[in-house]
Amino acid sequence: MTAAVERISAPDAVDPRPVLEARDVAVHYGGIKAVDGLSFALTPGKIFGILGPNGSGKSTLLAALTRLVPLTRGGLIFDGEEFHNVSPANVARKGVARTFQTVRLLTGLTVLENVQLGQDLHGAAAANGSPLLRRLRPTRTPSAGVSEAIERTRLAGLEKLRPGELSYGTQRRVEIARAIAMGPRLLLLDEPTAGMSHGERREISELLKDLRSEGLTQLLVEHDVQMMLDTCDYVFVMNFGKMIAEGSPASVVREPAVQEAYIGKRWREAADRQAGGGERDRGDEHA
Amino acid sequence: MSGWYDANLVLVQSTFVGLLLALSVQVPLRMGVFSFAGVGSYAIGAYTAAIVVIRWEAPALLAIAAGALLASFVGWLLALLLHRLGGLYLGMATVAFDLILSVVTTNGGELTGGPTGLFGVIADISMAQIIGVTLIVVLLLAASERGRIGRRVEAVRDDPELAAAMGINVRRYRQAAFVVSGLLGGCAGAINVLLRTTVGPADIGFGLVVLALTMIIIGGAKSWLGALIGAVVFTWLPSILAVVGEWQQIIYGTIVALAAIWVPGGVLGLVTDAYRGIQQRRRLKELAAAGAADVVEDHGADEEDLAVLEELAQESPVERQR
Repeated sequence: MTAAVERISAPDAVDPRPVLEARDVAVHYGGIKAVDGLSFALTPGKIFGILGPNGSGKSTLLAALTRLVPLTRGGLIFDGEEFHNVSPANVARKGVARTFQTVRLLTGLTVLENVQLGQDLHGAAAANGSPLLRRLRPTRTPSAGVSEAIERTRLAGLEKLRPGELSYGTQRRVEIARAIAMGPRLLLLDEPTAGMSHGERREISELLKDLRSEGLTQLLVEHDVQMMLDTCDYVFVMNFGKMIAEGSPASVVREPAVQEAYIGKRWREAADRQAGGGERDRGDEHA
Repeated sequence: MSGWYDANLVLVQSTFVGLLLALSVQVPLRMGVFSFAGVGSYAIGAYTAAIVVIRWEAPALLAIAAGALLASFVGWLLALLLHRLGGLYLGMATVAFDLILSVVTTNGGELTGGPTGLFGVIADISMAQIIGVTLIVVLLLAASERGRIGRRVEAVRDDPELAAAMGINVRRYRQAAFVVSGLLGGCAGAINVLLRTTVGPADIGFGLVVLALTMIIIGGAKSWLGALIGAVVFTWLPSILAVVGEWQQIIYGTIVALAAIWVPGGVLGLVTDAYRGIQQRRRLKELAAAGAADVVEDHGADEEDLAVLEELAQESPVERQR
């Protein structure tokens, strides 16, 4: 059993206590209410999704959950303990890992070193095999947790490459591998499949479901509705910083408020464009 | 060899002092801390060593330790005071710290010797001791550029927000940068005063900031090896250029300007880039041969994407009309 898997404990069927609970969370920038009074609970071993149009406050919510932006109001409870006064570095140490909306890898490091940075959270012992003077020793052989994160994200063979030499989709996978190598209890993923092909998206969806079966709670921010339908157990929909719907992915996408805010608008515009273009073409032909 | 060594002993000694001074500015820069406080630490180290030798006849290593420890303590206080500053503002504040020390030593009365400084700092310091101190420093710094600490330092410099998300206490790393910079600058100043037996306000002015910065810009800012290259070049260049007489300053300035414009990574950066370029070409060739080109090149649509696009095109009324 590797370090990463050891930390991802099996789902606790007896204790349904939420891994993370948000109570009336608000983040205001002056007069702009980026997040405005959200309350929800993330129960263990499930994949939760946040859906919403651009600017609806999804990424701000993730930044608030990882303490990168201060809360204007409300509170966070992680594993039954108050979480809203914890420093960003301690958020990671408590077991919250995240990926970012735009890929954030260290370009001077190799793929292997970027993934090792995640494992480094657990100290010199996990990284180098000894807590003493070897803390400064270069890590030539990756630890089991790092190797497993690399295997699971299909990065084997690319360890020595640098992020600049990889496609965007592959860079995304390195970010996910780094987050897995942190051995988290809660994984926050901000548009993890942006820039990926259909095949890659399906692979990531399968990977996230595998992690769920090992008990890892996940919160996924995604634009791709199909990805949400395929992957998530429960979805929250945001618009203008507020929660406008929640429930199973299939039921949520049928709600009129959601269709109006996000799906309907986009599809309707696309359909209108196609219909308008078609009629124009037909009109030209008749003329 | 012995004749050459004896003739150039002062330059050899200055190279070690220059290396420690350059490292005292390079270490904070490596952590993304734009601080020149290492030069102020050099002043603190020099005066402290001079005072303990003159007043208490302290042995050389004890004087160096006293200078380095006091400078690192002041560095820690400075870190607490300036923790909210970054970038150019931090740079300006630390240059001000250096200049304030120059004023303090000028007006320090009997303790600092006033404008004329302190003389007769005589303690036995051997070349072996200088090499020993420098070697320990370089080995520790070289190790800190690799492994777990190396990766974390890189994260703190390139993306502090990411570093925090990886569980790194960015503020503590930045404080450590000030403390280590103080130790190194203090060491350099103390060794220098023990070699020269004298120190005055003129030896610790703004010129040292320029010298240290020039060394690491030309040598390379990302590794101790860059500081070593810079220290060797700028300790020996003036004596080599002595043959051109009054043109020396112009040639010196031109070399610095050209290097800053055309070789921003320094000499070391140039060598590292060339090495990485060769490695990259070899690896890409290997991956292409293994049929993994899609992961390293910007892939277009895969087969499934193409099938979806084709389906959409067939359904589109525009396409149907055509």
